[in-house]
Amino acid sequence: MARNVYLPYQMPRGTVAQHKNNYRGGPTPMTTRLRQRVSTLALSMAICAVLQSQAQAAEDGEAILKAKCVGCHIPEEGQALSRISHQRKTPEGWLMSIARMQVMHGLKIEDDDRRTLVKYLADKQGLAPNEADGARYALERRLNNVEDFDEKFTQMCARCHSGARVALQRRPAKEWEHLVNFHLGQWPSLEYQAQSRDRDWLDIALKEMVPELANRYPLDSKAWTDWQQQRPDAAKLAGEWSFSGHVPSKGDVRGVMTATVSDKDAFDVSLKGEYADGTPFNGSGSAILFNGYEWRGNLEVEGVAMRQVLAATAGEIRGRMFETEHDERGLDFVAAKQGTVRLLAVQPEYLKAGSEAELTLVGSGLSGKPSFGEGVEVLTVLEQTSERVRVKVKTASDAPVGIRMVNLGALKGPNLAVYQQISEVKVVPEYSVARVGGNGGSTPKVQGRFEAEAWGKDLAGKAYRIGLVPAKWSVEPFDERAAEDQDVKFAGVMSAEDGVFTPGAAGPNPERKMSTNNAGNLKVIAAVQQDGQTLKGEGQMIVTVQRWNNPPIP
Amino acid sequence: MLFKRSVALLAVLASVHSMAALAASDKLLDKDHEYMAVTNYPNNLHIIDTSTDTLFKTCAMPDDFGPGMLLISPDKSRAYVLNNHYADIYGVELDSCNVVFHAKLAQRSNESARAMFSMAVSPDGKELYSVVNPTEKNQDHYVVGSPRLQVYSTAAGLDAKPLRSYPAPRQTYLMQMADDGTLFIAGADIYKFDVNTGKYDVALPVRNWKLPNYSAPDVLYFWPHQTKNRDFSILYTTAKFQDEKQDMATAEYKYGYFNINLKTNKIEQADFASLTELYFTGLRSPKDPNLMFGVLNRLAKYDIREQKLLQAAELDHTYYCVAFNTEGSKLYLAGTFNEIAIFDPDSLKQIGKIKLPGGDMAISTTQVFIR
Repeated sequence: MARNVYLPYQMPRGTVAQHKNNYRGGPTPMTTRLRQRVSTLALSMAICAVLQSQAQAAEDGEAILKAKCVGCHIPEEGQALSRISHQRKTPEGWLMSIARMQVMHGLKIEDDDRRTLVKYLADKQGLAPNEADGARYALERRLNNVEDFDEKFTQMCARCHSGARVALQRRPAKEWEHLVNFHLGQWPSLEYQAQSRDRDWLDIALKEMVPELANRYPLDSKAWTDWQQQRPDAAKLAGEWSFSGHVPSKGDVRGVMTATVSDKDAFDVSLKGEYADGTPFNGSGSAILFNGYEWRGNLEVEGVAMRQVLAATAGEIRGRMFETEHDERGLDFVAAKQGTVRLLAVQPEYLKAGSEAELTLVGSGLSGKPSFGEGVEVLTVLEQTSERVRVKVKTASDAPVGIRMVNLGALKGPNLAVYQQISEVKVVPEYSVARVGGNGGSTPKVQGRFEAEAWGKDLAGKAYRIGLVPAKWSVEPFDERAAEDQDVKFAGVMSAEDGVFTPGAAGPNPERKMSTNNAGNLKVIAAVQQDGQTLKGEGQMIVTVQRWNNPPIP
Repeated sequence: MLFKRSVALLAVLASVHSMAALAASDKLLDKDHEYMAVTNYPNNLHIIDTSTDTLFKTCAMPDDFGPGMLLISPDKSRAYVLNNHYADIYGVELDSCNVVFHAKLAQRSNESARAMFSMAVSPDGKELYSVVNPTEKNQDHYVVGSPRLQVYSTAAGLDAKPLRSYPAPRQTYLMQMADDGTLFIAGADIYKFDVNTGKYDVALPVRNWKLPNYSAPDVLYFWPHQTKNRDFSILYTTAKFQDEKQDMATAEYKYGYFNINLKTNKIEQADFASLTELYFTGLRSPKDPNLMFGVLNRLAKYDIREQKLLQAAELDHTYYCVAFNTEGSKLYLAGTFNEIAIFDPDSLKQIGKIKLPGGDMAISTTQVFIR
C-alpha cells in the first residue's frame, strides 16, 4: 500500500542569516532555482511514496549512508562516519542536515532514500523524550512561542533562528566547534550583525559557547542510554485512542483516533470526531513513528491536509495538529489509548455560578459517576461511554468560585473553573506575528488567530484562569506611529466574530506612505460581554513581511 | 583618442535607429567632466552624466552581483567593484567598459574568502588592498581562518594574485588609504595599517573608546564615499549617560561621526544629533562642513556644532546612500529600487530623478568623480 512518510515542514530554503545578508530579501536566481527544486521535492514527498518494508529500512539506511555519505564523510572505527556519527537529532533535524547537503554540497539522493535515511538516523541517533521536552514547540510549529533562554545563548545562538533548533541537538565539544566554524564560514556577515559586532564573536563562540553547549547538550547522556533500553515497540501504539483538542476560533473537539499497523513503525490512521457543536471532525491518513515516540502523521481532515507532530509516551499521545499549508491553523491534541484509564479533558473548562450547562469529559476507560465538587449538581447523564461522559449540570449561585478538580470514579481529572464574574480578559497569544503574503508571491499569508481568556478572582482574591470565552474582535493602532501610518487600514482585516486576522497582500503598496508594504503594529482587542458591561483584553500583533526561509525547525 | 571617440560616436549613431535608449558601452567619458557611478541588479555598472542628470552609459559586469560596492581609481579611469557575493574584485575601464582587472579573493581551491566591504586603492592607483575573511572548506568540515590583508598590483590583469599579504584583525569593513600611504581600516577600532610591513596599530579606538559617560558606539557602515575633501567618514550611534552611574534609562542616544581626512590624517570624532531616526548614510556638505546630511526614511540636515536638526524632507521611499556633486550644489540619493532622487541641499526640495535600467541598487555606493 502506498504510504506517506513525511516530515512536517517545507524543506529548508537557506537560512535566516542568509536572507539577512541579502539585504532586501530578494531571491537570487540561484536561490530561486533551489527553491523550485526544493518545493518539487516537498511536493513529491507529500503526494505519495512507496516505502519499502520498514523492516528492511535499518539495513537499507546503513547501505544508503555508505553509498551517499562516504566520500565526504570519513569512515571511522566501528562503522562510524565522521561528523554524522557524533550527533543526535530529531527527525526534522536530520532532514534539515541532509537537505543542506543537497542544497549546499551537491548531494544527490532520491526522495525515497532520503526518507529511509532520515528514519534510520532519527532512530539510531535521536533524542530521548525528556531531551526534547521544553523545545517541542519548535517541532510543533508554534511560531508565536516566545523563547526564554539566557541572554548570552539568545544573543550568540538564537539571534537568527530559534534556540530550540540548538536545544534539539546533541553533540560533543568538537562537533559544536565544527558548527561554529560552519556558521561563520557560510555566513561571513554574521560577525558584523548587531549583537555580534559589539564583541569578539568568534572568540566567544569558540571559547565560551562551545564548552557551554557541550555541557548543556552533550552527545552522551544517561537519558539517551536509558531510552534506547526501554524504547517500546511501535506496534503497541496500534489501537483506538480517545482524543481531545481545542481549535482556536472553532472550539473544543473530541473523538477517537484509530491506528492500524501498516508496516514496521508505520500506521494507517483515521480520526472520527466532532466539535462541541456537533460539526464533524473526521479524517484519515498515515503516520510514522520515529525513535519509539516521535509520531508524525499526514492526514486529510474534512478535506484539509493536516499534519500531526506528536509525542507518544506513557500511554498518551500529545502534541499539535496543523494544516499542511497553514501551520498557524491547528489544534493542541492529546489522546489516551483504549485500555488505559485516563481522564484527559473537561469541555468546556468552566461553569458560571447560577446557571445550567453541559459538560463533556474526554478520556479512556471512563466509568463511574462524575463529581464536580461543591455547588455543582449533575442533573442528567446525557451520554456515557468509555471515551466520553456528557452530563448536564446545575451550578448553584453560591458555588465556591475558583479552580476545582473533576472526579470520575477513582480518577482525578482536569481542572474545572467555577466563576461568578470575569475580572479580566487576556488575549491569547498576548504577542504574535502575522505575515503578509500572496499577491503573486511564493509565500501565502500567515494569519493571526486569537482567543479571549477569561480570568476571575477566587475568595482569597487570587486570580485564576476561567477559560476561553467568546469575544468580539477588533484591531487598533499599537502606537502613534501605527496610527500615523494607517496600519489598521493597510495591514489586514480582523474578523470580529472569530478572532481571525487575515493580513494584507505582499509587496510594496503604492497607496502607502513611501510605498511601504502592508506591515503593521496593531493592538488586538477582545471585547467580552458580561452583565451588560464590556470587558476588554488587549494583545499585540506585528504584521510583517514573509518568512522566506521556513525550515522544519524555525 | 579622437579616432576612438569618433568611432564610438559612429557606433552610437548607428545604433540610434535600433536601440536609441541604450548608449554604447564603449562611449568615452569626457575629460574634466563630472559623472556619477553606481551599480545595480542584475549586474550593471552605470555611468551618469551629472550635467544633465541622465544615464551616460551602462557597463555589463561579469559573474554575480553583490554587494556591487565600487571605488573610482585615483586617475578616474577605472571603477573597482567588489562583487560576485563578496568574493571577487573587478576593475572596469570606464571608457571601454572592459574588465581589465580581476582578483578572486580566495587563494586556494578549498578556500572561500570574502571581503566584507574592505577594499581600497592607493593614491597613486598602483595598488589595491582588500581584507579578506577566509574559510577553509575541508571534505567534511569548515575551519574559519584568520583575516588577511591582500595587496594587489592594479596592473595584474585578469588573474591577479596578491603581491603580498599580512594578518589583519577580525571584523574589519571599510578602509581607505591616505595620501601618505597609511591605510586606515575600520573594524572593532579604526586601525592604521602599514601595507609594506603589515604592522598595524589602533588609530582611533571605537568599540574600545574611553569617552567618559558614553557607551561603546555602534557602527554599521558600508558605504566608502570618495569625497572631494578626501574625508573618510563613518557614522556611529551611542548612548550618552547623565553621569558616571551610566543609567541607560536616562541616557541620551546620539548620532555621531568619525572622520579621517586622507590629506592630513587628522582624525575627528563628534556627535552631531540626537538619535531620533535612523540614517544609513550621512555626509557633510563640501560647501559647509558644519552641515550633515543623513538619509534613510527621510533626508535630514543637521547643524553639527549646534547638534540641531535644521530641516528634513519626506521621501517617496527609502534611500540608503547620499552623495554630493563636486560643487556641493546637488544631493543624490541612491540605493533601494532603481531610481536616484536629486535634492537641492539648501532647500531640501527634490529637483529631479534618474531612472536606471535594471533592478535594485541595494547597498551600492554612488561615487561622483571628474574624469
